[in-house]
Amino acid sequence: MLLELEGIQKRFGGVVALRRGDLRAEAGEVHLLLGENGAGKSTLMKIVAGMVQPDGGVIRWRGQPVSFRAPAEAAAHGIAMVHQESLLAPHLTVAENIFLGREDRLPFGWVNRRRMMERAARLIEEHHFPLQADWRVERLSPAGKQLVEICRAIYHGSSLLIFDEPTSSLSEAETQEVFRIVRTLRERHMGVIYITHRLEELRAVGDRVTILRDGETVHSGPLAGLSTEEIIRHMVGRELEAIYHRECLPPGEELLRVEGLSRRGVLHDIRFTLRAREIVGLAGLVGAGRTELCRALFGLDPVDGGRVFVAGKEVHIRNPRQAVAAGLALIPEDRQRNGLAVLLPIGHNLTHARLKAVSPHGIIDHAAERRTATEFIERLRIRAESWRQLAGKLSGGNQQKVVVGKWLFSQARVFLFDEPTRGIDVAAKAEVFHIMDELARSGAAILMVSSELPELLQVADRILVMRQGRLVVELPRGATQEEVMRHAMLEREAGVRELGS
Amino acid sequence: MIQRLLPSLSLVILFVALSLASPYFLTQTNLSSVVRQTAVINIMALGMTMVIIAGGIDLSVGAILAMAGLLGTMAMEQGYPIPVGVLIGVLTGLFWGFVNGLLITRLKIAPFIVTLGTLGIVRGLTLIISDGLPVHRIPQKFSYLGEGNLLGVPFVLWILVFCAAAVHFLLEHTRLGRYAFAIGSNPEAALYAGVPVAFHTTAVYALCGLLTGLAGMIEASRLMTGQPTAGQGYELQVIAAVVIGGGSLRGGEGSVIGTLIGAFIMGLLSNGSDLLGISPYLQQAIIGAVIILAVTVDELRKRKLAR
Repeated sequence: MLLELEGIQKRFGGVVALRRGDLRAEAGEVHLLLGENGAGKSTLMKIVAGMVQPDGGVIRWRGQPVSFRAPAEAAAHGIAMVHQESLLAPHLTVAENIFLGREDRLPFGWVNRRRMMERAARLIEEHHFPLQADWRVERLSPAGKQLVEICRAIYHGSSLLIFDEPTSSLSEAETQEVFRIVRTLRERHMGVIYITHRLEELRAVGDRVTILRDGETVHSGPLAGLSTEEIIRHMVGRELEAIYHRECLPPGEELLRVEGLSRRGVLHDIRFTLRAREIVGLAGLVGAGRTELCRALFGLDPVDGGRVFVAGKEVHIRNPRQAVAAGLALIPEDRQRNGLAVLLPIGHNLTHARLKAVSPHGIIDHAAERRTATEFIERLRIRAESWRQLAGKLSGGNQQKVVVGKWLFSQARVFLFDEPTRGIDVAAKAEVFHIMDELARSGAAILMVSSELPELLQVADRILVMRQGRLVVELPRGATQEEVMRHAMLEREAGVRELGS
Repeated sequence: MIQRLLPSLSLVILFVALSLASPYFLTQTNLSSVVRQTAVINIMALGMTMVIIAGGIDLSVGAILAMAGLLGTMAMEQGYPIPVGVLIGVLTGLFWGFVNGLLITRLKIAPFIVTLGTLGIVRGLTLIISDGLPVHRIPQKFSYLGEGNLLGVPFVLWILVFCAAAVHFLLEHTRLGRYAFAIGSNPEAALYAGVPVAFHTTAVYALCGLLTGLAGMIEASRLMTGQPTAGQGYELQVIAAVVIGGGSLRGGEGSVIGTLIGAFIMGLLSNGSDLLGISPYLQQAIIGAVIILAVTVDELRKRKLAR
C-alpha cells in the first residue's frame, strides 16, 4: 500500500473542511477522487502534499506513519502535485522549469545549461511528451504546462502524483493526451490520484474511486461495476433525476441574426440566427473561435465585416456598452475575472449593468436597489446571508447566478454563455441548466459555448459546430457526440500538434 | 471587528496620550493649527481616495498643488480679484487631473507611470513659468482662506467638512461612485457590464485634480506665497493617509471617514512630535513605520476574511 489516509480532519476557523477523510492508494493504479465543490477533495490532497496540516487522523506512507509540515517534506518522500493553475515560471524554458531549485551547480553559482538541456531532452523523449526542452513555458498551452509539471515530478523521483482537475481547461484532444500520459504513469507502477469534476472522464482513466461528501469519505472501491448514477448519488446524497434533461419549446421570433461576421485570422463569414426560447449549443475544439465569436458579438474585439441584427433591427456594436444597450449579455468563462466584482456586495453586482434604473439623475436610490437585489436573490435562489454579502464569498454556482441575475436585471434578451458549467459541481450544474431553461422559457435566446459535449447535446435545441474560425455545420437535436466531434476535428489529428505554441 | 476599528481607535488613543503628555496639546491654538496643517493633505487625500478606490494612483498631486498655487497667486499679482485667483488655481488642478485621466484611459498605460510622468512635466512647467521664483505680492485678504476663522472655527475646517461630505455623497450615493468601486474592484467585469470605464476613470482623476487645485490655493494662502517648489513629497503623505484609513492599492476599497482618520493620525503624529521635541528626522521614520503597520493590520484582516 502506497498511501493510506485514515480519519483525516481539518477545520478552517469555524468551517469544517474535512470530518473523516479516508483513502487508500496503491502503486500502479489510478485512483479517482470525486466530490462536489467544497466536499474537501482539494483540502485532503493539500494535506497529502504537505501544503496544509491536518487537525487529526493518520497518514501512512508505505506503511509508516508520517506528517508533512511543508511541501518540500512531502516531495522528499516522493509525493508531487500537478496543479490546476500552473505553478511554473513562465519566462523560463521547459528544461529550466524541470530543474528549478535543483540545478546542477558549478562553483560560483554557475549553472550547467547544456547538461541540463540534454537531461531534460532525454526525459521528454523517454516519455514521448510533445515538448522541446528549450521552449519557453509561457508559450505552451495549458496541457503543455501540465506536462512540464509532470516532468518535474518524474525527474524528482516521485512515486505518487496528484492531479487536481487536470483537464478543466483543456480541449478534447489535449484531454486525451493527458489520459495517455496518466496511463503510462500507471504502467510505470506509479501511484496516481486524480481529482475531477467531469464524470465522463472516469471510465477513460480510473481504476478505483473514493467519493467525498461534506468532508467525509462516503464510498471507496473499484470503478468497475459502479454506475454513473450511483456515483452521482454518492456525491450529492440524493437522487438527481436526469440533470441534463430538458424539454424543448417551440421557438419564437428571431432575436439575433448574424450575417457574414468576420475578423481576419480568427472568424470567417459566420452566419447564424437565434430565436426566442431557444438554447443553441456552440461546439468546437479549444481555439476553434467559439470564445472569439462571443467576444466579437459583444464588442470586446473589433470585427472586419458582417452585419448583426437584434430583434430584427441592425445594430453596430463596437463596445460592451453598446452590446448591453442592444440587449446582449455575455456570461464569460472566467467569472471571477470578468463577470463579478468579488469585493463588492451581491446587491451592487446585480445592478451594475443597469445602474441607471435605480439611480435617477445619477443619485442611487438605495431602497430601490435593495428591493431589486432581494427580489433577484429570491428569484434565482442565490444562497446568501443577505444582499450585502460580498460576491466573492459565494460558492461557484451561486456566483454564476449573481452574474445571470445581473443580466436579467439589465433586461438582456440574447444571452451568450461561455462555458457556464466549467469548474462547478453536479448540483450547481443542474441549477445553472435550470436557470438557462427558465431564461429560455421567459423568451430569451441563448447561445451556449461548452466543451462538455454530453451536456451540450442534451440541453441544446440545435448545435452549431465551429472549426478553425468557421461555422462548419448545424446539427439538430439528437445528434451524437461522435457526429459533433467528427465535424469539429475532421481530418485533423488529435493531440500532439496542439500542444506546442 | 477590532481590526476594522483600529484606525479610529489609534486616533483616539493618540489624542488622549498627547493630551496627557503635553499641556500645550489641548489648547485651541494648537488644535486649530493641527487642523490647518492637515487640511491641505486632507483635501488632497479625499481626491486620492476616489482615485485609489477606482484602482488607480496619482503621483502628480504634489506638483499639481504647486502649479495651482503659483498660477492662482500670479493672477492675483496681476490684479485679478481673489475669487478669480482661487478659481484659476482650482481649474489648473482640474485640468491636470483631466490630462492624467485622458492619458491613462487613452494610452492604456499604468497610472503609476503616467502620473510619474506628469509629476515631472507639471513640476518642470511650474518652475519654467515662475523662473524658479516664488510669487509674493498677494493681497493681504487672501490669507483668510488658510488662516481665517468662521464662527470661531478655522475656515479651512468648513471647507474640509464640505469637501468630505461631498466626496462621501459622491462615493456612496451616486452612479459615479458606484462605478468607481466597480472599476477598482474588477475593471474587466465593469467593462463587460457595459460600464463606461474610460469616462468614469477620467472623471475620478479630474475630481482628484480639482481638489488638489483647491488644496494648492489653501497652501498658498497659508504661506502667503505662490511657491513653485511647494508640495514636494505630498503625494506620499496623501497616499499614506488613504492607505492608513483602509484604502486598498488594489482598488475597490476605501472610504472618506477612513481617509480623514488616516490624515488626522498623521497630523497628530507630526504635531505630537513637535510638541514633545522629537526631531523631524525621526518623525519621518515614525510615519513610515505607521504606514507599514497600518497596511499589515489591514492585510491580516483581509486574509482572515478571505478564508
